[in-house]
Amino acid sequence: MKAKRLAELSVLTAVSLIIFIVELQIPNPFPIPGIKLGLANIITVFAVYHYRAYEVTMVVGIRLVLGSIFGGNITALIYSASGAVLCLLGMLLLKKIIDEKHIWIASIFGAVLHNTGQIIAAVIVTQTVQIIAYYPFLLVSGCLAGLFTGLCAQLIMPRIKFFKN
Amino acid sequence: MKNKILILICVLIFFIGIIGSAFVLFSPKKNNVNIKRDGRVLYSFDLNNTADSELEIPYGDSSNTVEIKDGKIRVKDAECRDQTCVNMGWLSSGSMPIVCLPNHLVIEFADGYDDGVDAVAR
Repeated sequence: MKAKRLAELSVLTAVSLIIFIVELQIPNPFPIPGIKLGLANIITVFAVYHYRAYEVTMVVGIRLVLGSIFGGNITALIYSASGAVLCLLGMLLLKKIIDEKHIWIASIFGAVLHNTGQIIAAVIVTQTVQIIAYYPFLLVSGCLAGLFTGLCAQLIMPRIKFFKN
Repeated sequence: MKNKILILICVLIFFIGIIGSAFVLFSPKKNNVNIKRDGRVLYSFDLNNTADSELEIPYGDSSNTVEIKDGKIRVKDAECRDQTCVNMGWLSSGSMPIVCLPNHLVIEFADGYDDGVDAVAR
């Protein structure tokens, strides 16, 4: 891997980690686990469209591990990790049929898939099927949060290109 | 065209979510409550016949304090970072349990007393 590319990926990881930790400080108004804006996914969405699959996986993986260590909530890693895996798989596939101008659609699907992964992990870990009752709420919040992060990514993209050139 | 279909799917997911949420929020309460961990029933109460009380449920170094008052149940205190279960307040929906993910604790309404043996076996 070229040093320049490595540096770019490191910067992306650092930025998403910073966004993640800043977002942790915002109190969650909804009393349901799993509902959040997921602002760090702005970087994920951007990276999916501009870097190779294994590079995005590295960025997201490192952000997850470091994020849970810095955030002090290592038990949450299993939920966020299973969500991230599903989200990444989905978006990498959707990348093939959704062009860059409609990144927000991919982002919505990514967010919904992320929540799906979280719920599946929660059901398996706690062995309580009733947790699925949270899923509808997560679907609604996932659509909204995904739309928001997707639009953010869309706004950021031309600016990053400007810096690159 | 392709994008329109995908947008339509998103809208569909959104409305399924809203309908599902309404369904969960308005499902009726029941009298019996189970407190579970990892699929095992730790405690079982009939809320109408339980005196006001507090219950500390340990999990490793951490613990949750469950309060029963006026035929309602909630997590009063939790030694975890996110405090989601405390913020959920009193258990009110028949299909949405109070969950504490860090401590693997689930509080939910149940159809009858559940001592770990299923109804048929009993």
